[in-house]
Amino acid sequence: MDFGYTPEQEALRQEVRAFIKPNMTRELLEEMEDLNEGFGVSRVRGRGPRVDELFKKIADRGWLGYSFPKEYGGQGKDRISQYIVEEEFARVGIAVGLAGSGAPAILAAGTEEQKREFLPKLISGEYSFALGFTEPQAGADLASLQCRAVRDGDYYVINGQKMYTSAAHVSTHIYLMARTNPDVPRHSGISIFIFPMDVPGMTVRPLWTIQNEPRAPLGTTYGAARTNETFFDDVRVHKSALLGKENEGWGVGSMGLNLDRVGAARYLISVRRDEDIVNWVKANKFDGYSPANDPAIRDKIAELWIEAQVCRLMTMRSMSIVEHGGNFTYEGSAEKVWAPEHGVRTSEAITQMLGPYAQLLNGSPHAVEKGIFAHNLMGAFQSGINHGSVQVMRDQIARRGLGLPSGRRAQGPRQ
Amino acid sequence: MDVLLTEEEKMVRDSAREFFEAECSTTLVREMEIDPKGYPPALWRKAAELGWQGMALPEKYGGQDLPLLYLGLIFEEVGRAVAPLPLHSTVVAALTIAKDGTEAQREAILPAVVRGDAVLTWAFTEQDPRFLPDAVHMQAVASGDHFVLNGTKLFVDNFVAADQCLVACRTAPGSKGDAGLSLFLVDTKSAGLSHTPLVTLAKDKQSEVVFENVRVPRANLIGELNQGGPIVERMLDRATALLCAQMLGATRKDAEMAIEYAKYRVAFGQPIGAFQSIQHVCADMIVWIDGGEMLTYEALWKMDQGLPASVEVSQAKAFCNEKCEAVVRFSQIIHGGIGFMMEFDLHLWFRRVSAWTMRLGTSYEHRARVAHALIDLPGRVVLGRPVPVVAEA
Repeated sequence: MDFGYTPEQEALRQEVRAFIKPNMTRELLEEMEDLNEGFGVSRVRGRGPRVDELFKKIADRGWLGYSFPKEYGGQGKDRISQYIVEEEFARVGIAVGLAGSGAPAILAAGTEEQKREFLPKLISGEYSFALGFTEPQAGADLASLQCRAVRDGDYYVINGQKMYTSAAHVSTHIYLMARTNPDVPRHSGISIFIFPMDVPGMTVRPLWTIQNEPRAPLGTTYGAARTNETFFDDVRVHKSALLGKENEGWGVGSMGLNLDRVGAARYLISVRRDEDIVNWVKANKFDGYSPANDPAIRDKIAELWIEAQVCRLMTMRSMSIVEHGGNFTYEGSAEKVWAPEHGVRTSEAITQMLGPYAQLLNGSPHAVEKGIFAHNLMGAFQSGINHGSVQVMRDQIARRGLGLPSGRRAQGPRQ
Repeated sequence: MDVLLTEEEKMVRDSAREFFEAECSTTLVREMEIDPKGYPPALWRKAAELGWQGMALPEKYGGQDLPLLYLGLIFEEVGRAVAPLPLHSTVVAALTIAKDGTEAQREAILPAVVRGDAVLTWAFTEQDPRFLPDAVHMQAVASGDHFVLNGTKLFVDNFVAADQCLVACRTAPGSKGDAGLSLFLVDTKSAGLSHTPLVTLAKDKQSEVVFENVRVPRANLIGELNQGGPIVERMLDRATALLCAQMLGATRKDAEMAIEYAKYRVAFGQPIGAFQSIQHVCADMIVWIDGGEMLTYEALWKMDQGLPASVEVSQAKAFCNEKCEAVVRFSQIIHGGIGFMMEFDLHLWFRRVSAWTMRLGTSYEHRARVAHALIDLPGRVVLGRPVPVVAEA
């Protein structure tokens, strides 16, 4: 076991910090406030001139795709170093990592052609994927998905509907899970396709979240104003859009989801509130009352801080596993239970430390830190739902990690 | 950064596990609960042959000079087996002698510890149960080339078996806090010493120890006079981190028993482990134990690197106290009535883990230490960077 960073990694952190400080201009921050869509402002191009310019500078430093192989547009560095770059940028609201991008799954399961086509452009920000996983009736039961892809010569014809296709309105491609064989056990008939958003037959309809009216400040947990539902109406895609083999999409998707969870972004959305509240109570008083001296608040802050350390260490464990080849049994699920629930506990505890101030939203008189604590409360639980709910994660820990048996379950119609 | 066990670390853990599986049955554990000394000397010697007492002691005295982290792996297995050995009190005192004692003290004590010929312990707590220097009132008064000790120490682990005991005393009358403390090496056969066994939840061997004009040679002072505070604090930090490892090993075994039980115990027509209400509790148990382990090993690793680790130690103990107790409680609940029966072994773990949560600092005390470092000391905190805040270049 080694809990330290190498001198080179520490130097990298200082280098990234030194870069960030002069580059975070007031104009850039204003543009970022406008672009904020949760998980930080991403590299997706063409959204704003100052963000584009910043990402060009970051790319020139070689900090995009830091741990991806050089032949696919990365830098071939270790995963921990990539984490350090991600962490420093995530703290200022910029998402340089590739968590949630689909890139790790392509690296693991894509053909050579797909890797060469997609990875360099995902890394540079020229491409970005909307994730087409769940559906109106599916919720967390992803394997019950009904969206159909039917082979027709060299093409597949896709019909169905996807829910919560976040960023579908700004993405270049969709990473879609669809059913290719309805006559086999439900996990065995699913395939993954990647194709451009502008193919005929796709419609994207916005769904507005509760968290962004008024607009959530930068750094809000989750923080997205908008997600989408996406409709597929006789969408024809070439067979080369398949990622991995036909009907083996469940394995590719699960592995991709595990890898997509690893990194600084998910860790920081769960724990940055802990830093915020400690630093806030150190610096602020209400008339003569200092929350920093309140024994109940001190005890709760320490408790949350300790929980946050566990979030960090579970993230470090996931990255250690990736460095050793990425063979997760339950550890990714453990991280995905602990960290989101911790984030909720912190968001709720802060409301009980600040009392009525915690209800003030962005722009209100007397709002604390632009109302971020109120906006957080509306979205913190979201992290326990998206990308695999904490209940499903617990099922996976129990069954895959601990070998507990599957029980009788309500059997829906097999799709 | 690689928080997974190396091959060598796995070997250390596995060999200790195999040893206890072969040598330490629950029958033995039960026998030692009513044994006056509380441990089997033969097993103690075998542990010495494996080098455990001397694992982290300097090679010069026969030890192996291995990191505390390795010792943590051993203590996890001691906990897993709920092995009735005075290893914790001995190793904690021996490490303090190795790090802060004089050459003469080390030569007199450490080789015997390594050989398995000595049992050590330490005494800190008096009436006030807090692990704070302010809780120490016992006086040691200089008298020629001796100090004279008067007072009462409580909860002294394995005193009944110990040859030597490190004793924290106040040597500057009227002093408070860290200042004015000194640590003495006291022969347990000294005139004026008496002890009364306490009857404990874990059925381990703890004593009230009364010092009546106990004369201790000046040469037995550990470190400088009145400078014992930091020595004691480091000793307690090491003791706490190693106790966390021991708790976690016991707690993991306890959880595994509940998980196995849930696989074959049938109720309502299926194994109870197929019910999600049981599955989700079991998942949480493992998440908590894993979390406690990483907190604990990070603390031990920091000590091995010579870095400040008090905050990390407190993080680990506060977390382990609450989570380990919750795990062993849930394990009792999953077992139902049978876990409440004396003839069933589960209580051997339940009682010990519960007792260990109460020793070496409560959750409240450790969180107070963390809160102090976070809130009362200057600088903006950042998760993953040192707390108290250290200025970075």
